[in-house]
Amino acid sequence: MIIIMRMGASQQEIADVLHKIEADGFRSHPIYGVERTVIGVIGDDRAKRPDTYERMPGVERVDRVLRPFKLAGREFHPDDSVIQLNGHAIGGTEVIVMAGPCSVESREQIMEAAHAVKEAGATILRGGAFKPRTSPYSFQGLGEYGLQLLKEASQATGLPVITEVLSTRDAPLVAHYADILQIGTRNMQNFALLTAVGSSGRPVLLKRGMSNTIEELLMAAEYILAAGNPRVILCERGIRTFEPATRFTLDLNAVPLIKQLSHLPVVVDPSQATGKWDLVPAMSKAAVAAGADGLLIEVHPNPSEALSDAAQQLKPDTFAQLMRDLKMLAPAVGRTV
Amino acid sequence: MVIVMRSGASQGEVGAIVSRIEELGYRAHLSQGVERTIIGVIGDERPLDPVAWEMLPGVENVVRILKPYKLASREFHPDNTVITLNGLRIGGEEIVVMAGPCSVESREQITEAAQAVREAGATILRGGAFKPRTSPYAFQGMGEPGLKLLREAADATGLLVVTEVMSPAEVSLVSQYADILQIGTRNMQNYALLHAVGEAHRPVLLKRGMSSTIEELLMAAEYILSHGNYRVMLCERGIRTFETYTRNTLDINAVPALKTLTHLPVIVDPSHATGRRELVEAASLAGIAAGADGLIVEVHTHPDRALSDGAQSLTPDQFAHMMARLARVAEAVDRKLDIAEKAPLAVAP
Repeated sequence: MIIIMRMGASQQEIADVLHKIEADGFRSHPIYGVERTVIGVIGDDRAKRPDTYERMPGVERVDRVLRPFKLAGREFHPDDSVIQLNGHAIGGTEVIVMAGPCSVESREQIMEAAHAVKEAGATILRGGAFKPRTSPYSFQGLGEYGLQLLKEASQATGLPVITEVLSTRDAPLVAHYADILQIGTRNMQNFALLTAVGSSGRPVLLKRGMSNTIEELLMAAEYILAAGNPRVILCERGIRTFEPATRFTLDLNAVPLIKQLSHLPVVVDPSQATGKWDLVPAMSKAAVAAGADGLLIEVHPNPSEALSDAAQQLKPDTFAQLMRDLKMLAPAVGRTV
Repeated sequence: MVIVMRSGASQGEVGAIVSRIEELGYRAHLSQGVERTIIGVIGDERPLDPVAWEMLPGVENVVRILKPYKLASREFHPDNTVITLNGLRIGGEEIVVMAGPCSVESREQITEAAQAVREAGATILRGGAFKPRTSPYAFQGMGEPGLKLLREAADATGLLVVTEVMSPAEVSLVSQYADILQIGTRNMQNYALLHAVGEAHRPVLLKRGMSSTIEELLMAAEYILSHGNYRVMLCERGIRTFETYTRNTLDINAVPALKTLTHLPVIVDPSHATGRRELVEAASLAGIAAGADGLIVEVHTHPDRALSDGAQSLTPDQFAHMMARLARVAEAVDRKLDIAEKAPLAVAP
């Protein structure tokens, strides 16, 4: 932490800050500049809140030097984390494609979708049984019955399953059926839920909150890691901006940036990020080119009849074409699909 | 400036940074932490670009210590700047209300508007003669004839004039007719224009860019100040956010934040900030309650017939209603807004 004193801060104010630093168990290192004094705090100050110093008389502001996350940081774990699942390595050279409908709607629908995405080359089946919907009157998902259908489709195709968990109460139930637990954008800072999936024994795909910074995403991952679950996958799914033409704005900067800051695998969700099926193929290719370890794509056998997210789900043949394009692109960036 | 090295940065990397600092005439102050080394750069850091230093090998991040603006800062000028103009004080105890139509459309329209806002207690007439419109096919303003009409209407009613200038070539023309030059949101970082108004002999109302930070607004003000024009007012007019219900989002935080960071007067534009007539009064009251020195409000005698911004223009009645409430809020926050003494004026010939 670096404490920047106001111009004209008194000797006494500086001394008080130095005293507090020592009392907190750190070493202080004052730098007396031309216009003002700056004090370095030496020691592991991650747990110390900057505002305890910021409010002291004579202090202008406090800047952090250490990143507030540790287990999620690349300094702590210099090599990429690779998560093994059914013979696939998430975070390795293979680009993992998770595909399927937004919601599980019926046995017929999920079976058809599962076979279609498997045939096109997807490695994991997605589908929501518990759905977080903006309106309480919208379709809320099939619940446990949906999980059972998802499991059936998984067994029929051999694809592992990823699905969202919405509450701590449902975590054991969802973990019973799913291979990967998904934390949705609206729950990125539901800390009780993060702690619960941290002890679930299943890998977790953590979606970035639609208005959260990359640092906040990594702090949310830190919750899961700190609860004892090292198998965390991060997901960029678009952030809220002023642009109304797309549902969200895909923040592709996040992919190489997270790769620098963290060792965790990074997946991109082009369906939520754009909200428009015809933009999904281009964004999928861009994500792989930017270094993403995987994609999470919505595919529905009959999008116009979908009970949720109709506008952003791909038809099976569009998805198959996208997979062929990705197979061509991946080798250009040293990856495989 | 403080340069934070990556943990595990080599001696050589640290040495290279130190020699670069010294080459540029600064002193380096090394601090060896448990995890990493921190280097203090001692001297006036304002000319240094932190991003350039962040690119050097072994550097993790660079923290600025000094604010990048100087003349605009309160440290440089601890007292509030008060701009005096024909007996009017902007930035003092009095609240200044600038009001009038978005665009000057005709003699009749601007004259009616001038009388209406004057009767309600405004002291400065606003109106655009050069209009920056998103579409090249939209009404672009009347140009110089519009400036003449504006001046006539103001002189007939005893108001001062604020109007926008869009290009350096027009600064001297607009200065002939206007008492205050307005730099619009789209030109906040038009540095040639800032330079030109910095050499003009008129006070400048500088609007915040719709996607610019407070620091960028102060840096834009610094351009004008550094060219010798110290009579600058800042204007918060709403920023772009994800919310589509209102045209922009009024960043009311900016008012007290600017008051802490700078000595320059701060004006709020509730019309552009909301884009909706029914929200203008509340935004105006909030602006003054938050400590703004004045308002710039769109008023049109027939908003439904306005050639631009009709949806956000108040009618004269709505404006008069707002002014009465504003006077009470002003008093409650120890400011003055004099609306009582203005008797209705005779209709100009």
